[in-house]
Amino acid sequence: MLRGSLALGTTSLLAPPRVARAAATTASMWFSQGFVQDEDVSLRKAVTEYQKQSGNTIELSITPFAPERQKIVAALTSGVVPDLIGFSNPNEILQIYGWQDRWVEVADVVETQKAQFSETALLGSQAYNSVVKKRLTYGVPLRAAIVPCHIWKSLVEKAGMKIEDIPKTWDAYFDFFKKVQDALRKQGERKVYGLGFQVTANGVDPYNLFMAFLVAYGGKDIVTKDGKLHLDDPKIKQAAIKAAAYLGGAYKDGYVPPSAINWNDADDNNAFHAKLMVMDVDGTLSTEVAIKEKRPEWYFNEIVTHGTPGYPNDNAGKPVPAIVNITNGLIPKGAKNVTVAKEFLKYFIQPKVLGEFIELGLGRWLPVMPALAKSPFWQNPKDPHLKGYVQQGLLGPTVPDYYVFNLAIAEVRNQHIFSTAMIDVAKDGVKPETAIEKAFKRIEDIFAKYPMA
Amino acid sequence: MDNVSVVEVGRPAVRRRTLSRYLSGHLKGGEYTWAVAFLVPYVAVFLTFVVYPIVYGVWMGSEGKLYRELFSDPIYQSSVVNTVLYLALGVNVKMFLALLLSGFFMRRGWWMKALLMIFILPWAVPQISTFISIHWMLNGEWGFLNNLLFKLFRIEGAYWLNDRWMALGAVIVSHIWKWTPFWTLILLAGRMAIPLEISDTAKVDGATGVRGFVHITFPLLANLYLICTLLSTIFLLGDFNTVYFISGGGPANSTHVLGTLGIRNAFDMAQPRLGVAAVMSALPLVIPLVIVLMRKLRTAEVQL
Repeated sequence: MLRGSLALGTTSLLAPPRVARAAATTASMWFSQGFVQDEDVSLRKAVTEYQKQSGNTIELSITPFAPERQKIVAALTSGVVPDLIGFSNPNEILQIYGWQDRWVEVADVVETQKAQFSETALLGSQAYNSVVKKRLTYGVPLRAAIVPCHIWKSLVEKAGMKIEDIPKTWDAYFDFFKKVQDALRKQGERKVYGLGFQVTANGVDPYNLFMAFLVAYGGKDIVTKDGKLHLDDPKIKQAAIKAAAYLGGAYKDGYVPPSAINWNDADDNNAFHAKLMVMDVDGTLSTEVAIKEKRPEWYFNEIVTHGTPGYPNDNAGKPVPAIVNITNGLIPKGAKNVTVAKEFLKYFIQPKVLGEFIELGLGRWLPVMPALAKSPFWQNPKDPHLKGYVQQGLLGPTVPDYYVFNLAIAEVRNQHIFSTAMIDVAKDGVKPETAIEKAFKRIEDIFAKYPMA
Repeated sequence: MDNVSVVEVGRPAVRRRTLSRYLSGHLKGGEYTWAVAFLVPYVAVFLTFVVYPIVYGVWMGSEGKLYRELFSDPIYQSSVVNTVLYLALGVNVKMFLALLLSGFFMRRGWWMKALLMIFILPWAVPQISTFISIHWMLNGEWGFLNNLLFKLFRIEGAYWLNDRWMALGAVIVSHIWKWTPFWTLILLAGRMAIPLEISDTAKVDGATGVRGFVHITFPLLANLYLICTLLSTIFLLGDFNTVYFISGGGPANSTHVLGTLGIRNAFDMAQPRLGVAAVMSALPLVIPLVIVLMRKLRTAEVQL
């Protein structure tokens, strides 16, 4: 199946992009500003190419990440919407407003490349509509993000160890960096910490971190595809307790920078670049991409993604599925030019166009089509980051983030329920069992607000 | 109908004339048209940018269930406590310091003018960049403050933003640092407006130093001081930048105030109505403040 789709993908990559000529007209599109300028340049290139081929006009508005999020929420609240939101920001906006029946269905757009998309991407393009009581396709998958491990190879070596020494199983993998810290402290390094865990209640990082540990400890089915919550499953509960214990315990034991308790999403990147910690578990390759141009020696020689063993296996030695956040193109109900918005999306998701868009963005984001992962860009043996990243998030086992199955998880994330449990353990010395018990009660209350048929 | 008097029948016409005269005042013909033409843009702007946003906001936050959800949220409860503390300490400490400093800056001499120029710098520089700088200065691991403490005294400084009360303290101190110069200037202007004859006469009568301040200066400044305090309270109630850029509402959402909580609910949680409700819940405090302020501003007596 995978081989078949790869072959099909290769053929599509070689074929020139196809453009349907809708009546020459204009559509407005909002997109988030890239982390590096190359991302915006690649987007503009794709838009210009589409305009040239179709005769249509795309009025592109690029806004910084946080304000764009506010702009989208404000637009959907007021009803004054653009024709196309090119970057679901936040990603769960698809599910939040899908629940309220606020998006135009785009199954016909996705259908044009359905065989190309990963199963996780297709799941991530859907949302439950509580008005018609159905799960429908409202998003067009464009790119994806996962949570890789970023490691200072130079600090590991300074501690007298090697990247090749990093164990392959979960706890041993992270315990390794505690040993690195101990060794560095013995050398007189006053402020270097082994682990950059975001034990905070800001942004999306702490939720992503907790969920990665939850899944690694066997809690993968906390919410199943039918949207049902499984907190009564002892396996899930144990996994959550273990995750809170490991993450909170590492902080309590002094292996995480103390300021992590109040980090926002960018602070861990800054702290990592300041060599405050040996490793960081953080979404996308933004950590690496941000310094590629200014400090190429760091990118190519000093920092590695995952290290030799790749993304760690669980404690039993089985691969751990990566939780994938899919970025979707969305058309709000009330959009004036749905036809052009759909035509642009059909053009944009052609493998050749989408692949180039992601690669020109330096690979911060992952493609959503397995065929694209086989390109020389992603498989470049000289790049210490891309191959492991794409393996973890596209070619290896993956699951979509759980708000895809039930919107309630988005509220769990935004209310920082798991973050609070981590902090309770880390800062206030609360027992992990008690912290999780409290968290589970709150999660059940939140799920009760989102009944699904 | 038979019982209706001639006066009663004639009254609507009288009313119409009165209303028309009331609307037009003493203006006639073209004057009246010009007056309306000048008024229309103002009314349109007022309706669009004042009335509409307020009505829309009230409408968005009008559902009772929003407030039930809000009041049961532990983060909201701690945000209310933080807001009260922020207002009580932030406004009063700042205004009291401003009052004292305005007296200090009444001294004469070129060096006093130079000092005043340096003193107003925190207020003059853009607030977001200064608050971000303070946030970085207070970083526990690599912040300027802790590095300085270590270099000078070999002391490991505290993690200033890791504890709720220290983080809130940092927010309040930063606000005071930022805005004291502004209110000092206002009160300084107030002091300078006190007629010299009054203070000179008081001095002749022996009211110098503290006595002069208690019996002459402060009574004359009292109204201005109260108006400044009320205005500052209203400004601070809607403050977002200080908390957002200094503590970020953390650790663990423990230092939010209503302004930052509203934005968090509206955009981070994508629940705009809940965000509006958080801000609207401050109205029982804002409305009385505005009423008192208006009454004070209407005071007809000659006061500073």
